[in-house]
Amino acid sequence: LPASLGRGCLGRWLLASRGWALLGTGTGTGTGSSPCLRWRHQPPPLLRAARQSIGTQAGGLKAAKPGGDSKDVSVQRALNEETLVSAAQKVKEAGRDFTYFIVVLVGIGVTGGLFYVIFKELFSSSSPNKIYGDALEKCRSHPEIIGVFGDSIKGYGEATRRGRRQHVSHIEYVKDGLKHMRLKFYIEGTESGKQGTVHVEVKENLETGRFEVRYIFVDVETYPRRTIVIEDNR
Amino acid sequence: MEEYAREPCPWRIVDDCGGAFTMGAIGGGIFQAIKGFRNSPVGVNHRLRGSLTAIKTRAPQLGGSFAVWGGLFSMIDCSMVRMRGKEDPWNSITSGALTGAILAARNGPVAMVGSAAMGGILLALIEGAGILLTRFASTQFPNGPQLSEDPSQLQPP
Repeated sequence: LPASLGRGCLGRWLLASRGWALLGTGTGTGTGSSPCLRWRHQPPPLLRAARQSIGTQAGGLKAAKPGGDSKDVSVQRALNEETLVSAAQKVKEAGRDFTYFIVVLVGIGVTGGLFYVIFKELFSSSSPNKIYGDALEKCRSHPEIIGVFGDSIKGYGEATRRGRRQHVSHIEYVKDGLKHMRLKFYIEGTESGKQGTVHVEVKENLETGRFEVRYIFVDVETYPRRTIVIEDNR
Repeated sequence: MEEYAREPCPWRIVDDCGGAFTMGAIGGGIFQAIKGFRNSPVGVNHRLRGSLTAIKTRAPQLGGSFAVWGGLFSMIDCSMVRMRGKEDPWNSITSGALTGAILAARNGPVAMVGSAAMGGILLALIEGAGILLTRFASTQFPNGPQLSEDPSQLQPP
């Protein structure tokens, strides 16, 4: 209560000090302005002592803050006399708190889920993004690829609607009880402008639990189509 | 579907900047319309005029802030793509962090770090949502090619 009273007083204060027309302060809140002025001369630590005077001016305060929320009303009631907070009020408050709690829980759940997805994508060694990164590094250091595409090679995946090409197209399937994954991404030489498609397949290795490469090959988009095999471990 | 026959990157900056401005202006417009409506004297004419004034004053400001954020983010993103030579979610997260840091530069180094953390986390969440959506959308189509044999480009082992 004292804090909200302080803010209200400060608001009116600022309006007054800026020289704007005191629209509301003169007329409707005549009785309510005195706690404001009195409060102005008291530093915040003396709020406890001031509460007495604020309590007795309950009527004036109500006029000053017509839209005061129920928390203010209930504190004032406790100050004035021992009114029982009715059962309906209690149920409403409990319901509201419960709804807020549920909303917070849902929010935390969704945020946690999104974080889990992004961590798995970026840090786990069995994510398509990691495999794409490793395959791109292998392509970059292969002499034949450098011969065709030039020194600096850039890689990208499928184009989405907005033009960002972060999604690498991949398919997972199970064969002979082992998980396989096939990826396809595109590389382009920045100087030569040649384009190529890289196909990668990885197989899960049960002992280490990670994926190891089965094959990597590149289709170069030149007129006689060339295929450069980088790795073949079948 | 090759909508972009050309490189998206430098043009994407303008695209993102304009898109962010529109989002900020429309969102700000709606929000300020309601706020102006409520904070006006009684009477529909007063209220409509108040809401129009609020929109005219505040919505372009919000649109401008959004546009600055979007444009800066896209610029840093494109620069990182050019430097690293590959496109992956790390670019977006780092770009978000750097954007937050640069936009808080007036408030000193500590505020920059905090703003960078917020920007990075926000972008990480957005990237996570994007990845989820793409995975969801791709599993909607259950028919894939039957993959029992190796591609024909490889010689038999």
